[in-house]
Amino acid sequence: MSKKVAKAVDKRKLMSQIYRYRGFYLLFVPVLIFTVVFHYLPMFGISYAFTEYRGISAPKFVGLENFQRMFSSPGFMRAFFNTLKLSILKLVLNTGMAVIISLLLNEIKNMKFKKTTQTIIYLPHFMSWVVTVSVFSLILSPSQEGLINSLLVNFGVLDKGEEIYFLGSKVWWTPVYYIVNIWKDTGWGTIIFLATLSGISPELYEAGTMDGAGRWDKMRYITLPALANTIITVLILNLAKVMNLFESVFVMQNDAVIQQADVLQTYIYTQTFNSGALPNYGYTTAVGIVKSLVGCALVLSCNYFSKKIRGRGII
Amino acid sequence: MKKRLIAAAVSTTMVATLFTGCGEDPARAELDSEGKPKKILAMVDGTVFTKENGQEEFIQRWEELTGIELEILQPDHDAYYDVMGQTFASGVENWPDVMILSPDYLAGYAQEGALWDMTEAWENSDLKKSGRVTNEELVDNMRINGRVYGFPTQRGNGCITYVKQKWLDNCGLDVPTTYEEYMNMLDVFTNGDPDGNGIDGDTYAVSAAGLIGTEVPYVNYLPEFYQDAYPSFYQKEDGTWVDGFTEDSMKEAIERIRDAYQKGYIDKETLTNGTNDCRTKFYEDKFGVFTYWAGTWATNLKTNLETNGRDSELVAIPPIEELGQYLERRPPIFAITTACKHPEEVFKYFIESMLDGGDMQTLWTYGVENVHWSTKAETVCGNEYAEGEFHMLESLEKPGTQYTKNNIDPMLSIAQFEGEDPGQEQIAEEARSSQQTFNDNSKLAPRVVSSDAMSQYNGDLTTLKNSIIADVITQGVSIEEAYARFEEEGGAEWSQLIVDSLNELENEAEE
Repeated sequence: MSKKVAKAVDKRKLMSQIYRYRGFYLLFVPVLIFTVVFHYLPMFGISYAFTEYRGISAPKFVGLENFQRMFSSPGFMRAFFNTLKLSILKLVLNTGMAVIISLLLNEIKNMKFKKTTQTIIYLPHFMSWVVTVSVFSLILSPSQEGLINSLLVNFGVLDKGEEIYFLGSKVWWTPVYYIVNIWKDTGWGTIIFLATLSGISPELYEAGTMDGAGRWDKMRYITLPALANTIITVLILNLAKVMNLFESVFVMQNDAVIQQADVLQTYIYTQTFNSGALPNYGYTTAVGIVKSLVGCALVLSCNYFSKKIRGRGII
Repeated sequence: MKKRLIAAAVSTTMVATLFTGCGEDPARAELDSEGKPKKILAMVDGTVFTKENGQEEFIQRWEELTGIELEILQPDHDAYYDVMGQTFASGVENWPDVMILSPDYLAGYAQEGALWDMTEAWENSDLKKSGRVTNEELVDNMRINGRVYGFPTQRGNGCITYVKQKWLDNCGLDVPTTYEEYMNMLDVFTNGDPDGNGIDGDTYAVSAAGLIGTEVPYVNYLPEFYQDAYPSFYQKEDGTWVDGFTEDSMKEAIERIRDAYQKGYIDKETLTNGTNDCRTKFYEDKFGVFTYWAGTWATNLKTNLETNGRDSELVAIPPIEELGQYLERRPPIFAITTACKHPEEVFKYFIESMLDGGDMQTLWTYGVENVHWSTKAETVCGNEYAEGEFHMLESLEKPGTQYTKNNIDPMLSIAQFEGEDPGQEQIAEEARSSQQTFNDNSKLAPRVVSSDAMSQYNGDLTTLKNSIIADVITQGVSIEEAYARFEEEGGAEWSQLIVDSLNELENEAEE
C-alpha cells in the first residue's frame, strides 16, 4: 500500500471516529471556543508590549522602548530575581516536605489515624491567603499577644519589650514566608505522592524483606525510585507556575521588606495601580511577556535535564 | 437522537453564556418624546446602596422620579478602580454613560479624552443658578486646565484626631494644642496608666494603618508627625511643582515618627496594620489616640467602644499648632464618559438632579422611604421614634445597626436642601461636632496631575519612597543613608523628571 493510500485510509478512519463520537465532540466545542477566545486570542495583546498604551486612546508604537526601560529599571531586576529566588526555593521546600510527609503517612498502619491526619494537613490549603496571613500575623505579633514572641520571652530567649517583628523584619520575612507556605500547601502536595505510594507493588517490599532489607533500605531502594517519576513530574508542572507568584507575597509584603518581597506580579500591580497616573499597559505587558518566557524556559530546561538524566521527560 | 439534541442544546447554551454581556444597549442612544435619555448606564462604587442594601428599591424610586430607566454597574468596592480600568481598556462600547471617579484618575482620563467636558453644562445649569450651592469653590478646585470634567456632589472629608476623654482624665491632661503637649500626652499614654487598670506601660498611644498612606493625601493617619511635610508632588504658591519628599520638612517628619516609634508611642505593628486592625485595637483600649475619618465615623467609633464595654467619649481635637490644618481628601466626582450619546441630558437628569434640593437629593442622601428611612412611630435598633420623626432604618445587610446615609453625606453635601434637610435632626451630635471641627480646620489636599513621566516613573518612585520611610522608622537606617539610597537607586532622578514634566504641562496650560 503506497503512502498516499495509507494516508487517505488514516484520514477516513479519523473522520469516521469523529463522526462516531460526534456527541462528545459537540460537547467539547464550548471548551474549545473558551480556550481559543480566552487563552489564545488574548495573545494578540502581546503587541501592546511594543507600544505605549494607556487603555483609552490608540496604542502608540514605541519599538523596544518598554524592554529597554524594563532592563534598566532596578525595580524590575530586583523583582525578577526575588521571584526566582522565592519561587524556586518555595517549590523545592514544599515538594521536599510533601515527599517527607507522604513517606511518614505511608508508614502509618492505623487507617483511621492516617485519614484523620491527612484531612487535618489538607485543611490549610482551603484557607484563603488573606485568612492565612491574618492568622500568622496574630501568632507572630511583636507583642506578648503573639504566641511565638510570648514563648520566646517566657523561655528567656528574648527580653520583654524586645519582641521580634517577624513580618516587618528584613531578616525574618523570607524564612517566615517559606514557613507559612509549607504550612499551607504541604498537605495538599502529599496527595499525588500518596497516590503513587499506594500503587507500589507490595511484592517488592516482601521481596526486599526476604532479602534482608530494613525499613531504610526499602525506602531508599524501592519507595524513592518509585516516587522519582512523580517528583520530577510535579517539579516540572510547578516550574511552569513559578513566575506567577502573587497572592501569597502580596498579602504578606509591606514597605519595610519590599526589597526582599517585591516579585514580578506585585511589581506589575504597583506599576498599574500605584503610579498615581494612568498606567502604561504597554510596559506591564512587556514585563508579562518576559515573565512568561522565563517560565517557559524553566519548564523546557527542566524537561531537557529530565531527559538527559532519566532518559525521558514529560513534555 | 435525544442525546445528540441535548448535547447540541447544552453546547449552544454554554457558548451563548460565554459571550453574555457583550454588545451595546440601543436604549442608551435614544431620547424619549420629552428629550430625556431612555436609559442611563451608571458605574458606581460601594458608596451607593448595594444590592444587599436595597439597591433595587433605590433604582425603582430613581426611575419614578425621572421617568428614565437606570442600570447600575457596581463592582466590588475594593476592586472598583481595577474594574474601571478594565472597563475603559475593553473598548468604548463597554463604557458607562456616567461614573464615580477618584480624583487620582480624573486628570489622566480627561487628558486621554475619555471624559466629557461639562463646563458649559455646569455654568448654565439650574443648580448653579439656584443659589443653594454652598461650595462652588470645590467644583472650581476640581477643574483641569480650567475645564470641568467631573462634578463633586460633596466634600471629600478627611481624618481628624480622636482622643479618648477618659484617658485624658485619668492622666490629668488637657487636649494638646502644640507638638510638645502632644508628645507629652503620647508619653503619658504609653508609660503611664491611662486606661486605669492599675498597670503602667501596658498601653501605647497611637496606631495607624501604615506609616504612610497609599492614596492622596498620604499623611492623613499621622498628621501631627508629618505636619507641613508632604511626600508627593504639590504646587507651591507661585505655581511651580515640587516633590515634597525631597524637602527638609519631609526628612524632619520621618525623624519625628522614628523617635516616637522607638520610644514605643506608636504601635509596633503600624507597618502591617490595616484600618480594621487599628479600629479593633482602639475598641479594645490598647491605644488612645486615633486619627480617623471625621463625621459619621465618630458615631461608629463611639458605638463600637460602647459595644466593647469601654468608655466611649471621644474628643475630636482641632489640629495642633505645628500642623495648622488637617488635609481634606479631594472628593470623588461624577464624570460623564465620551461614550455617552446624550451627555447634556445625562448631566441634567443624573448629576444635576442629585442636588435638586428635594426628593432626588433625599434619595441620594438618605435612600428610599420605608426601606432606608422612615417617619413612622416605631422602635429601630432599640431607639424609639415618634410619628413624623425622621429616622434611618435598620440595615438590611447588617441587622442591629441603622443606616446613616446613602451616597451623599448630608454633612458634606455642596448644596443645601430647599427648605429643611429632612434628616438633619437624626445626625448624631458627635458626628456633627467632629465634622464641623474638621470642616473649620482643613484645607484641600494637593491636586493630582498626570504626565507621561509620572506614568513611567511614579510607580517605582513611590515604592522607593515608602521603603525609605519604613527603613528609617523601623529598621534603624539613618536619614542620611536613606536619602543616599534615594539618589543611588534613581529616585532623585525620577523625581526631577516628574517635576520637570509637571512644570512643563503647567507652562503649556498657561500659554
